[in-house]
Amino acid sequence: MMAVEGVVKRFGAHTVLDGVSLTVAPGEVVTILGSSGSGKSTLIRCINGLEALDGGRITVDGLDVSDPRQLARARRLSATVFQMFNLYPHMTVLRNITLAPELVLRRPRDEVEAQAHALLASVGLAGKADSYPGQLSGGQRQRVGICRALAMNPRYLLLDEVTSALDPEMTAEVLAILGKLAARQSGGGGTTMLFVTHEVEFARRISTRIVFLDQGRLIVDLPTDQFFAADGGLAHPRIRQFLSKMAPAAPLAEIPA
Amino acid sequence: MRHAGFTWHDGALLAQGLAVSLGLFAGTFLIGLVLGSGAAVVRHFRVPALGTLLHTGLELLRNSPVLVQLFLVFFGVPALIHQPLTPVFAAGLTLSANTAAFVYFIAVAGLDAVGRDQVEAARAFGLSRVQLVRHILGPQALAFAVAPLVGLAVNQLQVTSLVSVIGVVDLTKAGDILNLRTLRPFAVWAMVGVLYFAAAKTLTLLGNRWERRLRAHAAPLGL
Repeated sequence: MMAVEGVVKRFGAHTVLDGVSLTVAPGEVVTILGSSGSGKSTLIRCINGLEALDGGRITVDGLDVSDPRQLARARRLSATVFQMFNLYPHMTVLRNITLAPELVLRRPRDEVEAQAHALLASVGLAGKADSYPGQLSGGQRQRVGICRALAMNPRYLLLDEVTSALDPEMTAEVLAILGKLAARQSGGGGTTMLFVTHEVEFARRISTRIVFLDQGRLIVDLPTDQFFAADGGLAHPRIRQFLSKMAPAAPLAEIPA
Repeated sequence: MRHAGFTWHDGALLAQGLAVSLGLFAGTFLIGLVLGSGAAVVRHFRVPALGTLLHTGLELLRNSPVLVQLFLVFFGVPALIHQPLTPVFAAGLTLSANTAAFVYFIAVAGLDAVGRDQVEAARAFGLSRVQLVRHILGPQALAFAVAPLVGLAVNQLQVTSLVSVIGVVDLTKAGDILNLRTLRPFAVWAMVGVLYFAAAKTLTLLGNRWERRLRAHAAPLGL
């Protein structure tokens, strides 16, 4: 379980997270919604230890991420997919995927490479193992980013606005893969997902729960169907306002229900 | 009788001088490379005290003439420790430290040029600091730094000629000896110049090939 308890994060005088609490239990797909600057990405960055906390506590399966030793262990349980992909430009696609499993999880190279090839095939990039990230389109890069995360066999998958840098067509490519992943995981025992996104319709289809951040405060935390119910999340004026301003849904045809 | 013509022996003297110059260059550049990039990594991780100390020392070395440093080490240090230094040792020490200073500033810039996103990805995936430097920061910084490093190498190769002043028989000193005997300065110094040029040009070609390999992932823009 990932547990965020009363987390405070400030950048100078600006309070980005103002006492946020949230738990994500195994098997859940939790979406964080909120406008830009509401603190969504910062929350993800606090969970994977890229930002130091100014207050509160975050634990991943009981490991406190503020403690360097426990953070190192917590990072082996989770994997992050980044908004700007953050692939290693000087390494081939294959090496991008196998680096951390080999160095951090100390798994044998043959085994990791076999898994990497299987993952690439599953996202339609079977022929790209020896390409460099610079030779791929944005959508392809993000699919590599997803493979890189999945090769860690993570218990928790952190997705930070993974389609924000992509055009609608590439967004659809990536969402299709995440949709499949979420559908497979809902059987339980698989990867738990914490998902920061602006794709409301997509979030509605794959999430078990949706939370809404507004100016660093978590104002609503509801199961997906209640979040969109008139007497649930929609009863909240800030959320109604947010949802009414969202663009119509991205193409969903390819996304399995 | 004064023997003023060129002999086969002169060729051997020049070849020996060239070997000393190249050896001195290769040794001191390698040591400078290791020390300079090590200091840059210390600086990059903001190690308190040590980082500042190294920065100050290396800045002193970069901003003073090599010849002055050479005199300080060869004449100054023995006066202080009451122990003579051999010319080769003094030359090796000075050139290594001087190279380290220039490598340091190139390496700092190279490390700074690697995007924050790279460090964040590697850290989030659990790489240790050593693994981060070895697999992510090092190779990418090197790709940025290789062009200025090749330039530095060419320069440092030529700077080795200064050690002839303290009596190391390098290529320049060999030319000096030859010139004094033959009294044909134009021929002698032209020959010495060509040898330096050939060595520097070879170095540049090797450097360019190395750079192409390091930057294989970044295809040149077809503009």
